[in-house]
Order: sequence, then structure tokens, then C-alpha cells
Amino acid sequence: MIPRFLAVFGAALVLAGPASACARPRTSLPYLEGQVMCPTCHTTLDQSDSAAAHQIEVFISQKIAACWTAQRIESALVANYGQGILAAPSHKGFDLLAWWLPIVGVLAGAVILAFGVWRWSRRREPEEPDGPTGSGLDEETERRLDDLLARFD
Amino acid sequence: MTHRLKAMAQLLALACVAGLLALLVWQLDHQRHAPPIGSIAPAFTLRRLDGSGTVSLASLRGRPVVLNFWSSSCVTCKSEAPVLERDWTRYRPRGVVFLGVDYNDLASAARTFVAAHGLTFPILKDGSASVTSTYGVAQAPETYVVNRRGRILAHLAGPITAPGFRGEFHAALAKATA
Repeated sequence: MIPRFLAVFGAALVLAGPASACARPRTSLPYLEGQVMCPTCHTTLDQSDSAAAHQIEVFISQKIAACWTAQRIESALVANYGQGILAAPSHKGFDLLAWWLPIVGVLAGAVILAFGVWRWSRRREPEEPDGPTGSGLDEETERRLDDLLARFD
Repeated sequence: MTHRLKAMAQLLALACVAGLLALLVWQLDHQRHAPPIGSIAPAFTLRRLDGSGTVSLASLRGRPVVLNFWSSSCVTCKSEAPVLERDWTRYRPRGVVFLGVDYNDLASAARTFVAAHGLTFPILKDGSASVTSTYGVAQAPETYVVNRRGRILAHLAGPITAPGFRGEFHAALAKATA
């Protein structure tokens, strides 16, 4: 009696497992369709209607139903197709360059721009008239003008 | 100081342009084209689809090889598969090795395809399609016939069942086994 009960209980667990395993999916097909490339048409899955893309979508749907995470599904796809199956490069090794280079480029551009503006503003400073020396009069005329004006004080 | 800075900036800009040009040239130079007839077939080592080790082209030197690039999502591959299997059975006693190279495909789907069509010749998995790219394969199926010395005798960019290709395929195999 007990072995029979255990057998039925075990079978129930095995059968009920997959059905109840993913009451709350951990990722979605639309999300992964934007993250995964179609290997034959070189666009993301959501922009492809090819048979290869459809095959991958079916695979992803099965894995979502089995409660796999997006990362686990992506890893399985990378193991099968290689790194090129992902729309974005990974966050490790040489691929990190793809993430950091644009940031470094923008920062370098900002620094160069700031330096250029600073230099340009410094070059402009001496050209601006600054008081008596910028009046265009020679020293003698300026002195005589000061004397004349002093009489009215 | 200003002149030196200006010269340095110009030099840097020129270096950037030169770098971009070099990248463009490298990209153009590295675009994959099908290896020409008569050239040595590009070497490769690939895992078997069934997981039982690897196969390298070099290890088959001395035997004619038929390299068939396919994918389970390819429609024409389905009609080509039974013909390939029949040809494999026919040419195997003459020492010809047929190799199927599955690319851009899920391993599980490929295994289902192999079982459904009863393919018995070795099937290799080119997951990242790197070997496929080396052979300049644009669209499955494509077939290469390689002679005993490793030179390409024929390249059929389409199913071997196509009327034009059928004769060419058998002519190449006859030449390879002569």
C-alpha cells in the first residue's frame, strides 16, 4: 500500500511540476525578442519574420513556460549560436570596450570642447577695450586731457 | 605653444581619419567570399551534432569529401536531405565522406531534422557559423565537393536536387573518386 502511494505521489509531483513551475514567468517573449538576433537576417527577432527567427521564438517561449530567467535563456542561446546571437555585447572581457568607448568618446569630446572654449575666451580678452589704455589716444594727449578735465572738478 | 597645440590637434584628427580608413580597408578585405574552385578547402574542426567528439577536415585528407551546409529552418534542405542520404549510401563504398554542417540552428531542432530524415552521415554543428562564413555560404543549402588532396572541385550554391546542379554534383564526385 505504501509503495503504491509513494509511486502515485511521485508521479503526481512529476506531472504537476511543469504545470505549476511557472505561475509567474520570470521574463517575457517581447523583451527577449528585442535582445536576441535572428541569425539569418541579422535583425532582432521582433523585426524578423524568417523561419530561423520563428524557431528561436518557439524555443524562448518553451523556456519561459519552464520558468527560465532571461539570462539563462540568453546563455543557452549563446551556447548554441555563439555571442553573435545577442543584440548587445556582453559586459565582460573585450566586449566591455563596446560599452565604455562611447562614454569615453563623449567625455573626451566634452573636455576638448571645454578646452577650446576656454582658449577662445582667453584669446578674446586682450582685444576688448579696458579703460583709458584702450582709448586709442597717445600718453601725452591723454595726460593733457586729464589736466583739462581736472579743471572742472 | 599655440602653434604646437594646433599642430597636435591636426595630427590627432589626421590619425583618427587614417584609423577609420584602415578599418574600412580591413573590413573590405575580410568580407567572406566563397573559396574559388581549385583552391584548398579551408581547414576546420567542428563538434559532431550528436556530441560524440569532433571532426577535422585535415583528418579526412586522402578521401573525397562532400560538405553540405544546411539548417533545419531551411525549406529546400528538407527536399535535399533524402537525396543526400541516398547519394551517401551510393558513394560511401567508394571512400567518399559526406559531412553535413548544420549552422544558424538550434541543436535540438537539428537533431529532430536528422532523425526525421534518417540521415546517417556525420553531422557537424557550426553554432556561430564561423566555418560557414569561411566558406562564403550565403543561404542554405550549399554543397562543396573536395578531392583527395583537399582541393575544391565543385561548389553548388543551392540544393543538389536542382536540375542544373544534379549533373555537376555527380560529375564532381566521379572526378573525385576516379
